[in-house]
Amino acid sequence: MIITNNDWVYEKYKNYDSHQVIFIEGSYKDVLVKTRDKIHEGYELLTHPLSSSLKPNETPFKSIIISEIKDKLNVDSLIIIENSIMSWEKFNNNKLKLNFTQQIIEDFKLVDLTVLEGALNNK
Amino acid sequence: MKLELGYIYIKDIQFAEESKVENGTLYVNKEKVKELVLEDEHFKSVEVDLAKPGESTRIMPVKDVIEPRVKVEGPGGIFPGMVSKVETVGSGKTHVLKGAAVVTTGKIVAFQEGIIDMTGPGSEYTPFSKLNNLVLICEPVDGLKQHDHERALRFAGYKVAVYLGELARTLVPDQVEVFETPTVKEGLKLYPELPRVAYVLMLQSQGLMHDTYVYGVDAKQTLTTMLYPTEIMDGAIVSGNCVSACDKNTTYHHINNPVVHDLFSEHGKTINFVGVIITNENVYLADKERSSNWSAKLAEFLGLDGVIISQEGFGNPDTDLIMNCKKIEAKGIKTVIITDEYAGRDGSSQSLADADASANAVVTGGNANQVINLPALEKVIGYTSVADIIAGGFSGSLHEDGSITAELQVITGATNEMGFNKLSAR
Repeated sequence: MIITNNDWVYEKYKNYDSHQVIFIEGSYKDVLVKTRDKIHEGYELLTHPLSSSLKPNETPFKSIIISEIKDKLNVDSLIIIENSIMSWEKFNNNKLKLNFTQQIIEDFKLVDLTVLEGALNNK
Repeated sequence: MKLELGYIYIKDIQFAEESKVENGTLYVNKEKVKELVLEDEHFKSVEVDLAKPGESTRIMPVKDVIEPRVKVEGPGGIFPGMVSKVETVGSGKTHVLKGAAVVTTGKIVAFQEGIIDMTGPGSEYTPFSKLNNLVLICEPVDGLKQHDHERALRFAGYKVAVYLGELARTLVPDQVEVFETPTVKEGLKLYPELPRVAYVLMLQSQGLMHDTYVYGVDAKQTLTTMLYPTEIMDGAIVSGNCVSACDKNTTYHHINNPVVHDLFSEHGKTINFVGVIITNENVYLADKERSSNWSAKLAEFLGLDGVIISQEGFGNPDTDLIMNCKKIEAKGIKTVIITDEYAGRDGSSQSLADADASANAVVTGGNANQVINLPALEKVIGYTSVADIIAGGFSGSLHEDGSITAELQVITGATNEMGFNKLSAR
């Protein structure tokens, strides 16, 4: 299951049989929080939430892969998502003054998409 | 495996009719360099410029920095699997134009980062302010996709570095250093009493602009494996990583890996430097588990007593770093990890995105969130339009007078996680 606020990711994977895609109309943090909710429900984290070297106060886009089916709570998944949320909060204490042009928005979407593709292509 | 590195010291760089090295000056035929770059049809034009130590020059955005070298004797060529064939390198003789570098700049994506200031406070934070730099400003053809642009720019850097390196082929080096790694069997016989130490080198491997190549193979596709340390000195590992300027390892960092050099200087004296284990930093968690399992397995297999582990990047690589550390420590092998920190502007936040009690020996490359003020400089190479820089979503504040307030993050190599830099805190 892909949890994402990147419409490019949603458009690419929405019709794949192998993955559900949950599209979040919201921020990078909203994606992290939804992922945490899912982990509490028993889904397993498959990719690391802090993917790409773009910092959580730089890029607005995030895509995370979790398991398609749920099981018992996976504590490793929980620790990773909580640490990731803490990281997001640490970075967002210092909001960067970024001027987003359309081109920059698209570039951030592209990096998020290609990093996700890199993770999925190996599977 | 034994390699002789011959250093030809470069103290100046100039454009000239004929490319050559004479009396420590690298003379470059600008037209020839442009021709080489434009062999790739992905570029519509290229500018070539110089940036020398002490000049009031800012280069930005920097994609990669590459050192000119040439294989003089022995199998293979520099950057195997990339611009040379895949033959195993690391033995024989290699000449180095020490003090020179090729710097590639390019607007692959619109957000800006990667600054080298050749003077002023910013110059203290990057090793590249001390080099005589040939800067390539390559303009892609219209509509070129980012993957193709990144790849073309990457190869342009290697081609020009190899072209310049070739100028050193018949020169007599100013200084020669010899590096030799015995086989496991020879090493056990030669140094039975010395602790067996290896270097676990973690490679960035996440996707477009976040990749590393080993003999031309995308590190995302690799299993943890081993190299002779001298293979690295011939460019076995090159960088396709150009996000997060402060802690990405440029090709220059790889070919001059300071952990490799420092371990060699102790080799046969206080330690037996057994070799290098390379491992990746994939985003998929099962890949992280597999890669770190294999690092620990190889470390045990080699009968190591200790390892130094360096990582590349921030965030999810912190998880790989801690996995490598924990699992190797669990085998009874001591670890020291090298990392940088994102500890917030006041330095009081948790530095890494992951942690473990066994990571109790850490060397830091510095706090990437530290704020620095960079004065306006006379010349900017790469991105000359101030308006573009502002529109480019620059990760910092560009002031009207051309000065910049930014975190150390934006300076190329500022918090390098191989421990490349000389700044320390006492």
